[in-house]
Amino acid sequence: MASAAARSGLRSLVARATPARRRMSSSAHDDAYETAKWEKITYAGIVTCTLLAAYNLSKGHPHFDEPPAYPYLHIRNKEFPWGPDGLFEKKDHH
Amino acid sequence: MGVKGGLHTTGAKWFMIESQRHSYHLVDPSPWPISGSLGALATTVGGVMYMHSFQGGATLLSLGLIFLLYTMFVWWRDVLRESTLEGHHTKAVQLGPRYGSILFIVSEVMFLFAFFWASSHSSLAPTVEIGGIWPPKGIGVLDPWEIPLLNTPILPSSGAAVTWAHHAILAGKEKRAVYALVATVLLALVSTGFQGMEYYQAPSTISDSIYGSTFFLATGFHGFHVIIGTLFLIVCGIRQYLGHLTKKHHVGFEAAAWYWHFVDVVRLFPFVSIYWWGGI
Repeated sequence: MASAAARSGLRSLVARATPARRRMSSSAHDDAYETAKWEKITYAGIVTCTLLAAYNLSKGHPHFDEPPAYPYLHIRNKEFPWGPDGLFEKKDHH
Repeated sequence: MGVKGGLHTTGAKWFMIESQRHSYHLVDPSPWPISGSLGALATTVGGVMYMHSFQGGATLLSLGLIFLLYTMFVWWRDVLRESTLEGHHTKAVQLGPRYGSILFIVSEVMFLFAFFWASSHSSLAPTVEIGGIWPPKGIGVLDPWEIPLLNTPILPSSGAAVTWAHHAILAGKEKRAVYALVATVLLALVSTGFQGMEYYQAPSTISDSIYGSTFFLATGFHGFHVIIGTLFLIVCGIRQYLGHLTKKHHVGFEAAAWYWHFVDVVRLFPFVSIYWWGGI
């Protein structure tokens, strides 16, 4: 999928770099066909992501035990300018 | 050339465009380079002051950022006027932003490469200080098959949507191109939302050993690039809606699409090397 997208990007890059002769050969019809094709690929991607999201989110949140206080964990040498906690930190210890 | 002068062309300028004997754009004097420099200065000084809890640091940082964002807005507004209303972006002029965008993306590849290097350097031969194992002893890691796996196909799907938009522009289907860009941006926003949720649920932070440092540096900078790409695509969507982009002239959109493909392909590297391999 990613390689197909990269290839299409490269193809359009080459198409742009080569002079007008090359541009004439790709008619509006080809572009209309490609538009319809990539629209379908996008819909397939959205359906796949939605199904995967429904399955993944139904599994619930993971829970982790508090690790022992190893010296390399939670290294805080001074307070953040906005307070004691990190931006994405859960505040269940207060 | 002269016919494209547009409503804002003054008499003197009209004469200059008419008498021009080359296809290059000689730009007018502009205040934005110096205002951008001053904004950047205020931002860095304010940022350092804020991080060291100096009085007024947050104010200077905010003013600097506002100044910088204002400069970006008006500078790009001028470029769009020069391109769409004044018709200065000839084929020769378009080569500039084209090469510039490609070189910028190449430099971005090198930038992100350094973070994956740091992660591999630390994980392939874990030091004795972190227990000689990877992930370090005591570090809880996210299950790669949950939100990380979910977030991985969302960006390539968004990449497919931007390819849809590109073909729609080339085919002259203006409305479809707007719809395709809306789909691209929505998928991008969903991806950023899941990344935020993942960070919120993550059992470690950036201050938890070299694992946290490399993990949040690499995934955080990737997420930041997703946000930048999303803003770029939103601007393209607005420009497509306003009719700025034509079949033969849409360099801004192409740069956004190249950047977006770079961002969605790069997502596969942290998934395989950091979430999956690095989490086993």
